[in-house]
Amino acid sequence: MIASLRTVDRRRVAGFSLIALAALLVGFGSAAQLRSQLVTPYNRVERNQALVRSVQDLERTNAVERGRIGTLRGQIAGLEADAARRSDQTRQLEQEIANLRAHAGITPLRGPGAGVEIGNGPPSGDGQISYLASYQDVQDVVNLLFTGGAEGIAVNGRRITPLSAYRGSAGTVEIDDGPPLTAPFRVAAVGDRGQMEQLLGDPSSLGDLRHRQREFGVKFSYGGSPELHLPAFDGSLDVPDAEPA
Amino acid sequence: MPDVPPHATPRTHRGLTLVIVGTLSAAVAFLGVVQIRSQAEVARSLAGQDNTSLAFLIDDLHRANEELGVQESELTARRDRLRASGGTAADPALQDEGQKLRMVEGLVPVHGPGLVMAIDAPLSRLDLEDAVNNLRAGGAEQMAINDHRVIAGTVFRQSGNGVAIDGDATHGPWSFTVIGNQDRLAAVADLMTQSLRSDRRVRQATYHMEQDVTIRATVPERPFVYGTS
Repeated sequence: MIASLRTVDRRRVAGFSLIALAALLVGFGSAAQLRSQLVTPYNRVERNQALVRSVQDLERTNAVERGRIGTLRGQIAGLEADAARRSDQTRQLEQEIANLRAHAGITPLRGPGAGVEIGNGPPSGDGQISYLASYQDVQDVVNLLFTGGAEGIAVNGRRITPLSAYRGSAGTVEIDDGPPLTAPFRVAAVGDRGQMEQLLGDPSSLGDLRHRQREFGVKFSYGGSPELHLPAFDGSLDVPDAEPA
Repeated sequence: MPDVPPHATPRTHRGLTLVIVGTLSAAVAFLGVVQIRSQAEVARSLAGQDNTSLAFLIDDLHRANEELGVQESELTARRDRLRASGGTAADPALQDEGQKLRMVEGLVPVHGPGLVMAIDAPLSRLDLEDAVNNLRAGGAEQMAINDHRVIAGTVFRQSGNGVAIDGDATHGPWSFTVIGNQDRLAAVADLMTQSLRSDRRVRQATYHMEQDVTIRATVPERPFVYGTS
């Protein structure tokens, strides 16, 4: 009696297992089939993932190195301040360099100013964002702010220097040796607040951006602020090929 | 009362259980595959880039990290010298940094390897700003346009048929004098001149490399009025 019950149980378990296995296979198969019709073939996704992983690794290295540069600049400033306390000549040199560092953007800056936000357009029916803010939008806004009397500018916390350049694609902006920044882009400028606001409000300025704002919903807004804080530039300002003439 | 086979109820239960187990297994498998694929898609959409753009991004980040590594080594050496000297190494290091920053800010004349690009075309303020950015992104360290020193804060304004650079009106033909890595500069200058020559407004767009170009123009010092360090 016991033996026959065990046989029935084993059969039952085997039956369940077979059905579960078959159902799993059917599930895997149907899901894979459905997805393969909707998305990019998996090998392409894998290749893309490998590239994304490389980018993420390089971004991590980039952040670590910029962090170390910031720390080293702080340590050097501390040691120089100690030296300046012992020597008038060093103190005078240190003051001169402090002014040059401020203008180069390698020390923080604060003061009144204006902030601008640029964002991608809204998603279309298929969920894709058709109209992306570009590096040229950021470049145009930064140039306009300098025209309006900006003394220092940062984009998403990345400080602009006298050597800054912008590049990028598909809604990202790379500035100098920093990581890619993604929209929304927040541009903060310390300087002549009134003049910057006036230029930002002038309908004849930033023609391309305003046109895409009207037609495609690309976001553009701005406002003044009594106090803005800009971080120090944490990258390289090396000019290895240039020498004083 | 009708006769009911003694095993009918257990069979019905077993069939129902089998259906439930099968359905659950299929659902788990389906969700598993969907989830794995979705994660792949999320990673892709996070980057929001195609493979070619990602490859360019990797190239840019490699170069950026190399530059950061060089800067880090220089700063480490400077800090260690300062520590070892008990502060006496501060003056030469500050003088050296001052010289570099004056170049970076366009306050002193500079020379070095580079190129000279000649463009005869009615370029607008925006054209000049784009050209400056392309050259800088392509390795330009120092630059002048028609003998006007150009840095990131240089102001270009449209002025009739010409452009005022930091308040000085100038017009074409345009001469870009650029100092920087010659290999990188040649690559960007090739692209720029090819693109310009396809524009009907452009009468001439050429460039030549020079082992030593000199930029004598400087920008005036502008003390901060609003900003405080």
